[in-house]
Amino acid sequence: MNFQAHMDELTLADAAAFRALAGRLRAMPEREPSEGLTDRILAAVDAERNRKRPRFRAPSPWWGIAAAAALVAAAFLFYAEGPSRGVLVATASDPASGLTWLAANQETDGTWSPSKHGGAEVYRPALTALSALALDRDGRSESAARVDRACAALVAMQGADGTFGGSGRACLYNHAITAFALATLYPRHPALRPTLERSLAFVAARQTAQGGWDYEPGSEGNAAITAWQVRALACAEAQGFDAAKTPLRKGLRWLRDSARDDGSIAYHRDSSAHSDGLTALAAYALITAGKDFPGLSELGRHVAGSLREAPDASATADCYRDYAKVLAFESAGASARAEAVRRQMQAYQKAAQPDQWGSVGGKLYTAAFAVLSAR
Amino acid sequence: MTPHALLAEQDDATLMLRVRDDDCEAFAVLVKRHQKMLLNFFARSGVQYDYEDLVQQTFLRLYRYRDRYVATAKFTTFLFLLARQVWIDELRRRKRHERLVAGLSAEPKPEYIDPVAADASASGEMDLKRALDVLPEGLRNVVELGVYQDLPYAEVSKILGIPLGTVKSRMFNALAKMRAFLEEK
Repeated sequence: MNFQAHMDELTLADAAAFRALAGRLRAMPEREPSEGLTDRILAAVDAERNRKRPRFRAPSPWWGIAAAAALVAAAFLFYAEGPSRGVLVATASDPASGLTWLAANQETDGTWSPSKHGGAEVYRPALTALSALALDRDGRSESAARVDRACAALVAMQGADGTFGGSGRACLYNHAITAFALATLYPRHPALRPTLERSLAFVAARQTAQGGWDYEPGSEGNAAITAWQVRALACAEAQGFDAAKTPLRKGLRWLRDSARDDGSIAYHRDSSAHSDGLTALAAYALITAGKDFPGLSELGRHVAGSLREAPDASATADCYRDYAKVLAFESAGASARAEAVRRQMQAYQKAAQPDQWGSVGGKLYTAAFAVLSAR
Repeated sequence: MTPHALLAEQDDATLMLRVRDDDCEAFAVLVKRHQKMLLNFFARSGVQYDYEDLVQQTFLRLYRYRDRYVATAKFTTFLFLLARQVWIDELRRRKRHERLVAGLSAEPKPEYIDPVAADASASGEMDLKRALDVLPEGLRNVVELGVYQDLPYAEVSKILGIPLGTVKSRMFNALAKMRAFLEEK
């Protein structure tokens, strides 16, 4: 039996009315798939195919030990080797000192060298991008000239695949932050357009089927890199880069679905660990990049609301975490809370506390994040 | 005739058997053939802006579950079973999200402008769309599969996991409710 046969069983009046109604329903306009839908589906399936792993064969206690070691390592790998003692050069309440320090330490080729300041050389592209963003906040023409040189250096670093150097996770880390910087700087540096377009193509190509991004294949995404990519895409989309639209929507969806009931967001969805920095970064991305999507800004405020101004007493200085919290609180309209975080940053700096991620960016990290966290 | 053109002439069941052997070209033909149908299935189910994501998820599941397809089952029945599961998962996520968002802010939400709904309004079909939208999920599914997709009721029964008699009663109730809604207008 089908619809027609069913109608034949009804009274003539009902059947006529229902057939007319069905005819009107079928005549309603239908949606057409967007141009790139087939390619996106096939790329997602291709990624799925490539994720196949060898079967687990012989359970052994060594597997457990190896897994535990990997988990511990993964918790720290985003920022590399762990805390190191760094001399602090700027405070969020006094960005001028950070700007001066950054200006004085730019290399002649336009980059900044992390290894000269306690960081890891492999992150030179990301730290050059962050330093350029910080200097871009300065209105003086000499800073503008320095940002020009940094932009030229980033353009020169880009490879044919759209990335900016490094391999493995360093490549993705460098790319996420540099893409955001390029999208932010683009309006004053229109010559960046082809570089930004190649970068966006890489972002779209590396997005997982679930909408997130991660360093390694086989994961549906991690909150840190996804939040940076979403920020980059939102910035590019606002400036008319249509290629950013679909990956942005899917990235926001990934962040939305990663929020737990208490508002926190973990590094990976299935992780029970809590991270203030990642929660803050995701909150900011949801509030700002999600403003055109129903409910996302409210969700972002809820996520921001789950954060405390002050970290645990046992927490160490963490300029990355505090930068993200300032952004989250400011975007949520909680300026007093943002100010409390700035004071906390200053207290860490006065006490010369080693930064949690000093071995990644050294003084460049603390200077750039302090400037970017300033009012 | 190119190999792709030859594939495009094959029926769904034959293509699925090739997909089981990891034939990417066969899978691409299935995607192109059925993506619009799925897109409109999700759009009419009440998804607003992310129906293409759900289409993508459905095809991903189709790929993952390709070994479970047996050629005796109609392909569209298998595909709609997967799509319905994707939609149920989406509803669960959506309810969780709504629960999170509920009461968080009194700020008015920006209205999503649906281009097809705007077209429908222009052509005087908005009332019809609203009549469909106000149907409960169970009734709307029957209309979607039995009217839009014109599937035999036995297939609708399999996809929704309800007896054939229930398909008939839901269809009658759905159309009667829509008719009453439109007459009130």
